[in-house]
Amino acid sequence: MTFDLAPLAPYIGDFAAGARLTALACALALAGGLALGIVAALMRTAALPAVRRAAEIYVDVFRNVPFIVQLFFLFYGLPEIGVRLSAFGTGVLALSLAGGAFTSDVIRSGILAIEPGVLEAAQVSGLSRLAIYRRIVLPIALRSSVRPLGSVFVNLVLTSSILSAITLNELTGSAKIVASDTFQPFEVYAVLLLVYAVMTWLVSLSSAALHRRLNRGQG
Amino acid sequence: MQYTDFAPHDLILLLQGLGVSIALFAATTAIGLAIGLAWAMLRYYRTPLLSPLAALLAELLKNSPVLVQLFLVFFGLPVLLETELTPVQAALITLSGNTAAFIYVIAVSAIESVGRDQLETARVFGLRRWQILRRIVAPQAAAFALGPLTGLLVNQLQVTSLISVIGVVDLTKAGAILNLRTLKPFVVWTVIGLLYYLMARLIAKACARVETRLRAHSEWKGL
Repeated sequence: MTFDLAPLAPYIGDFAAGARLTALACALALAGGLALGIVAALMRTAALPAVRRAAEIYVDVFRNVPFIVQLFFLFYGLPEIGVRLSAFGTGVLALSLAGGAFTSDVIRSGILAIEPGVLEAAQVSGLSRLAIYRRIVLPIALRSSVRPLGSVFVNLVLTSSILSAITLNELTGSAKIVASDTFQPFEVYAVLLLVYAVMTWLVSLSSAALHRRLNRGQG
Repeated sequence: MQYTDFAPHDLILLLQGLGVSIALFAATTAIGLAIGLAWAMLRYYRTPLLSPLAALLAELLKNSPVLVQLFLVFFGLPVLLETELTPVQAALITLSGNTAAFIYVIAVSAIESVGRDQLETARVFGLRRWQILRRIVAPQAAAFALGPLTGLLVNQLQVTSLISVIGVVDLTKAGAILNLRTLKPFVVWTVIGLLYYLMARLIAKACARVETRLRAHSEWKGL
């Protein structure tokens, strides 16, 4: 039983390349998930029951089906209907769809937490519906959702490891290659575990900092 | 008959996969619950050294992908310890450990949700620490924990799908096999997804029933 990290040193470049791909996929998925999540959250708090129902179904399905099944559905299914995406594109799409479902939950509760008086005041002032959403609802809801959104993003980073199952060489995928090159799987995956822990820790630290910055001056 | 058609045998493969998924989910939940609760007891009894270590380990398990933990156990552990592990054993170890870490977190916050004044009152009445835990903390903490526990169980069910990557023929692996043979991804993955969805629903419903029972004591019974 030996634990030797020295043979991994020449592979730091591979790890870094994988980490870059993971970071890129997560950043794109964060943007996509946020956009989808905001739309879904607005739909779920809409007045029309049909609109609410449609958004509920989207969230329900993507929360209750394993991510790897969603990923395979898109990866094998999309080419079937003529949509040809790279593994990276499929991965980002799948992460955005799943992320959007979780994001919408957070933003929805942020919207529901807005005091009705604020909205009534805006309506009485004669603001258009778009202005109310853009100037009042979303700023308040997003500001209070920063911290829970941070933990959604942490989950997104962890979930992105599953993208290695569709031939994408992100962090986990490149670690798999390094492990089979060096024959030292324990060291490789132990290091990988720590790298992910550090990455998610940084994400939660920065989301906490952003939360403090956006909510400064609030009790 | 075409090679890519669905055959009656596919149904057996699907049911087999479903059985493996359910069995592994049940086993790892039971083991994880036992370990996680024991883990939380370390904290409740303020065991020196072990208690911060447990917190650190839980944090590490919570903040790393299950897939990586699975690879570490399946590919890494046999090399390190010079033993052999079957995919099912590796899946059992990893998923139990992962579930235990989340159970630990839920249990700790549930125990802390019980008001301090109640504990002090109980101590004044001369109850021992174990009696306080058994009679006062546990019943209230269980009711408090059931909400987060439901979310965890639904999540852990989905996490079991990852063991297909190391070659356990669970529901997802059965889907992958059928997908490659029939080349009908939409049908196959929709059926697999639907089965997972139904299982998740079932778990959520069962938990909701238990929660109503546990909360029965605090319900308004009328005058």
